[in-house]
Amino acid sequence: MSWTRSARAVLAFSLLVLLHYTIRPFLGWRTPVDFLVIAVLLSAVRVRPGAAALIGFCTGLVADSLTPSAFGSGALAMTAVGAAASWLKAVFFADNVVLHGFFFFVGKWAFDIVYVTAERRMHGVELATQILLWSPLSAAATAVAGVVLLLMLRPVLEPQAA
Amino acid sequence: MARAVRSGTRVDTVLLVACCVMALLATVLPLNLREAIAGGLRRTVVAPLVSLQEQAVRGRSAFLSRDATTSRLDSIALRNMQLAKLETENERLRGLLGLGRELQWGFVSAEALRIADIGEEHSRTLTVGSRVGVEPKTPVVAPEGLVGMVRTVDPNSSIAILWSHSDFAASAMSADRSAYGIVYPHLSESGRDAEIPPERYLMEMRGVAFRSALKPGTLIVTSGLGGVYPAGIPIGTVLGELRTSEGWARTYLVRPAVRPPDVSNVIVLLPKRIQGQSLERVWRSATSADSAARHIAAAGDSIARRAAADSVRAAEAAAARRGADSVSGQPVQPAATKPAAADTARRPKGRADTTRPAPRKPDAPRPGAQR
Repeated sequence: MSWTRSARAVLAFSLLVLLHYTIRPFLGWRTPVDFLVIAVLLSAVRVRPGAAALIGFCTGLVADSLTPSAFGSGALAMTAVGAAASWLKAVFFADNVVLHGFFFFVGKWAFDIVYVTAERRMHGVELATQILLWSPLSAAATAVAGVVLLLMLRPVLEPQAA
Repeated sequence: MARAVRSGTRVDTVLLVACCVMALLATVLPLNLREAIAGGLRRTVVAPLVSLQEQAVRGRSAFLSRDATTSRLDSIALRNMQLAKLETENERLRGLLGLGRELQWGFVSAEALRIADIGEEHSRTLTVGSRVGVEPKTPVVAPEGLVGMVRTVDPNSSIAILWSHSDFAASAMSADRSAYGIVYPHLSESGRDAEIPPERYLMEMRGVAFRSALKPGTLIVTSGLGGVYPAGIPIGTVLGELRTSEGWARTYLVRPAVRPPDVSNVIVLLPKRIQGQSLERVWRSATSADSAARHIAAAGDSIARRAAADSVRAAEAAAARRGADSVSGQPVQPAATKPAAADTARRPKGRADTTRPAPRKPDAPRPGAQR
């Protein structure tokens, strides 16, 4: 990956992190859009699985610093999602909006499952409700936002060859 | 090539495993250690993001409370508007009380209700009638001056015409008695003279002798001629002369003392009170008592407050004396000719703790005057 592409990818990543800490708390939805997951997924498909795992771990650790009771859960979930996305990057090469949306959906849902499981705070019905109701809804919102952002950031992320 | 790929895969696996192990370790760390690490991150790397998040949350709260804030502001503004109305009403009622105190007897206070019918905007229904002694052609006054005249009377209510009614007319004179005339409502909505601005509620003083020239600002009061209105009730002030075709008399445009839209509470002078008595001093005293009362309210220092209270007491005592004099039939001594007011007489001379200058003697040189 050239320096220009790396710089653009870092710029897009930073933008998504900013959105996560501005738009998301401002909207305050019950099923929030997870811009950090979108950022990790978009970065992971551009690097090797090891680097993707590292990016996911660092991003998750940053997110965990605001929730000390679940410290480490976000890092573990982000590591898993980042590594898996990097290994499955071939799917992302398909220039299909619906497929991109599906992978954002799966990525966010997988993140939530790993997160709530590692967090060990929810049990029984509450856990099931979270995993089967709120997480899919949040994943759907994230998928829609991810597709929109991907279309908007395409000129930055995939510049046309001269 | 194959070795490189294998080596890369091994590095990836090692990194992945290392990250997973570190994340799992983080989940099982003691709470104080987790809090220490999270706090360190929050104070360093994540600090700008935490700040952004706080601002976003604050922005959301402000956005959500926008409607509530707007409605609260609206209700405060509404309450303020009502307060201004209440203040005005309070001021009017206070003026009415002052006038009642000066009149002392022979009057009834009433509420003047607006008649909703079309064409009746120059009449008011009064909440008093013949049961309290109100009769037709009884004058209706306000603290500012003449309002109008009672036209029809029922036992518990009566209808009065305002001075703006086309049937209204009152014998009037200048306050210094130098000019006499008849006051009518000025029915044209604009001044006939180009120098006089158009205004809705104005009066005309007609039939003033040609030799009697009135300056703008001259006070016009009722003259007492005709027997309906007692002398001395303020009617208005001269705005200017109107050009008419009559060559033997002058007509003046008069700004009324009472504006019809402001008429809400009035005093009806009963017939026994108006028989041949001048009310000139009543309005003069009411004005001075009112200004003294205002002085009390506005006075910031205790000395000024005491002096103002003395003035009010002196004015009230003078009014009481006048009332007693009028009852006994003795001629009333004008307030202006009474000895020095008690407040000035009582004031200690040359007090060190006052910043107010001592009263200047008439023959004493003016401070700062050149010799």
